[in-house]
Amino acid sequence: MNALTVRRFLPAAAALAVAAAFTGCASQGVKNPSGVPVTEMRPDERGFVAGTGVESQDLVTVTDRMARSILGIPVIAQAANPPVVAIEPVINETRFPINKDIFLTRIRTQLNSKAAGKVSFLARENMRALERERQLKLTGQVTASADPNVTEFLGADYFLTGKFQGISTRTSQGVSDYILYSFQLIDARTSLIIWEDVAEIKKQGLEDAAYR
Amino acid sequence: MFRFFFSSLLASAVFLAGCSTVPLPPPVAYTGDALIDGKAQLAVAAPRDRVLWHYRVGATALRRGDSDEAARQLDDALTLTRGTLAGAGEAEAARARRMFRREAEKPFVGEPYERVMAAFYRGLLYWRQGEPDNARALFRDGAFIDSDNETKAFAGDWVLPDYLDGLATVKLGGDGAEALARARASSKHPLPDYDPEANVLVVVEFGRGPRKYAAGEYGEQLRFAAEPSRLTGATLTVGGQAVALPAYDDVVFQATTRGGRIMDHILGNKAVFKQGADAVGDAALAAAVMVASDRDDRRRPPPKTKEEREEQREDERERDQAAVALAAIGLFSKIAAAAAQPTADTRTWDNLPQYLSFSALRLPPGEHEAVLTFQDADGVTAASRTQNFLISVPPPVDGRTEDLVVFRSDLPN
Repeated sequence: MNALTVRRFLPAAAALAVAAAFTGCASQGVKNPSGVPVTEMRPDERGFVAGTGVESQDLVTVTDRMARSILGIPVIAQAANPPVVAIEPVINETRFPINKDIFLTRIRTQLNSKAAGKVSFLARENMRALERERQLKLTGQVTASADPNVTEFLGADYFLTGKFQGISTRTSQGVSDYILYSFQLIDARTSLIIWEDVAEIKKQGLEDAAYR
Repeated sequence: MFRFFFSSLLASAVFLAGCSTVPLPPPVAYTGDALIDGKAQLAVAAPRDRVLWHYRVGATALRRGDSDEAARQLDDALTLTRGTLAGAGEAEAARARRMFRREAEKPFVGEPYERVMAAFYRGLLYWRQGEPDNARALFRDGAFIDSDNETKAFAGDWVLPDYLDGLATVKLGGDGAEALARARASSKHPLPDYDPEANVLVVVEFGRGPRKYAAGEYGEQLRFAAEPSRLTGATLTVGGQAVALPAYDDVVFQATTRGGRIMDHILGNKAVFKQGADAVGDAALAAAVMVASDRDDRRRPPPKTKEEREEQREDERERDQAAVALAAIGLFSKIAAAAAQPTADTRTWDNLPQYLSFSALRLPPGEHEAVLTFQDADGVTAASRTQNFLISVPPPVDGRTEDLVVFRSDLPN
């Protein structure tokens, strides 16, 4: 090997080798190396960790819309006496496990807080405790402010329920989830669906190559 | 030139310091109890390994009948996994793809077969908690996780997630025919029609699940191994009926038919770099030796004049410089090759079963003595594995009968 030739290419080769090696150890791309402090966010805000599933911003968007829609129905808006509504659990047909009560709970609280008096809800999930209390009154174990022999538990005029359905797609390009949130108000006497509304949300995401 | 040599060494030292490994977690005092030890490991686990320990502890708790603990562990695992895949583990995942970082530095979420098993177990627990629609959501999620792979040949071919998806749909008053058809298309064993009145759902697992290992010259290829299970089926005798429990799902089959990952290509590139840098290092060091030895070549005639001696000294000095520089390049390349990390991530959910089976039964309220036996491929019962237990069917509440989910495992817990 000619020493002069070697010497001519030496600086470039050395610089190249150093650069190539250090590229792998470069520190760029390390975001939030010391973590992210606890951040308070609005529930309708998309956080910095967001997947394609059902999240709080979807809950807020969907329930706000449904509450507004329910208040616009003539049987609610123009009723002489506030209709009595019982809540039935929603049916989840998506690929995401969810707390099934949370959507209807939020619709109920929105209606109760924003339109108090327009509609009344039954506490059917507390029926066991209510029934026990009535039995205690009937047996005289506790006092009663009214005749406990008279049944005063109200029947429902309407049932509010819903169904969540989804279409999910997965390819090497990413994941896509479409969810249809549908809610119904059903007349307890006639079984007629007197109101129905839907909200649709579609999300897409691409997982890091390290997980594909 | 010596300055250059020492600079290179210094740079190498800095480079290696940057790639140093993280400290090991504090040691755990083992008790021999898998649940206690697993929780202790979880308490000291690096954040990137937490999902792995949640999986392991969750499976152990499920086998011990501690549904609440199992649900907590699996919920944590599923939540962390979703967060990681949604971008919370973005920085770590990006690091794991780098040349001088190990794949195992990324937060563990598991290979698809592990994630499907987490969804399957949690689905069973939801059903046990009286939420068949959330159970169905997780069976669907499991099938979804397996729905896209490299070859498409074995996509979405888990049997029980589809079968239980359909059963949950039937129980909720819907039509499970489509899910049943999918399950039957994937199953090697005949699957019975759904019985909406069946109130006892029996899930049985047996055999050892797959283990991961790194193959290839640099360990860049993720491979799976499993000790073949001697047991290939089970039989449950209860209430005067003997119910066959064939192996509907084979977790080892699912692990090994998934095909390649994009990460495999990244690891392959790392391996190519490692090989290339190593070869460059070898060549440069060999060239350095050659140049250095050429300096002392005694076959050259001795210089006679002052100019010839001067020229020879100049030539020798240049050769010295070239030899040192080549040695530095060679050394640096060898260090770079040694620092490249193409090894595949072999962290494994190591207490998974190989086989899963299922049956739905009708049993009246009350206690029923049950005997579960396991058979090998010839149908011979392995007497030492027989399990005797009670199935306690609760009475209806408010006229409604809740499904009872019975989970039995042949794996140590």
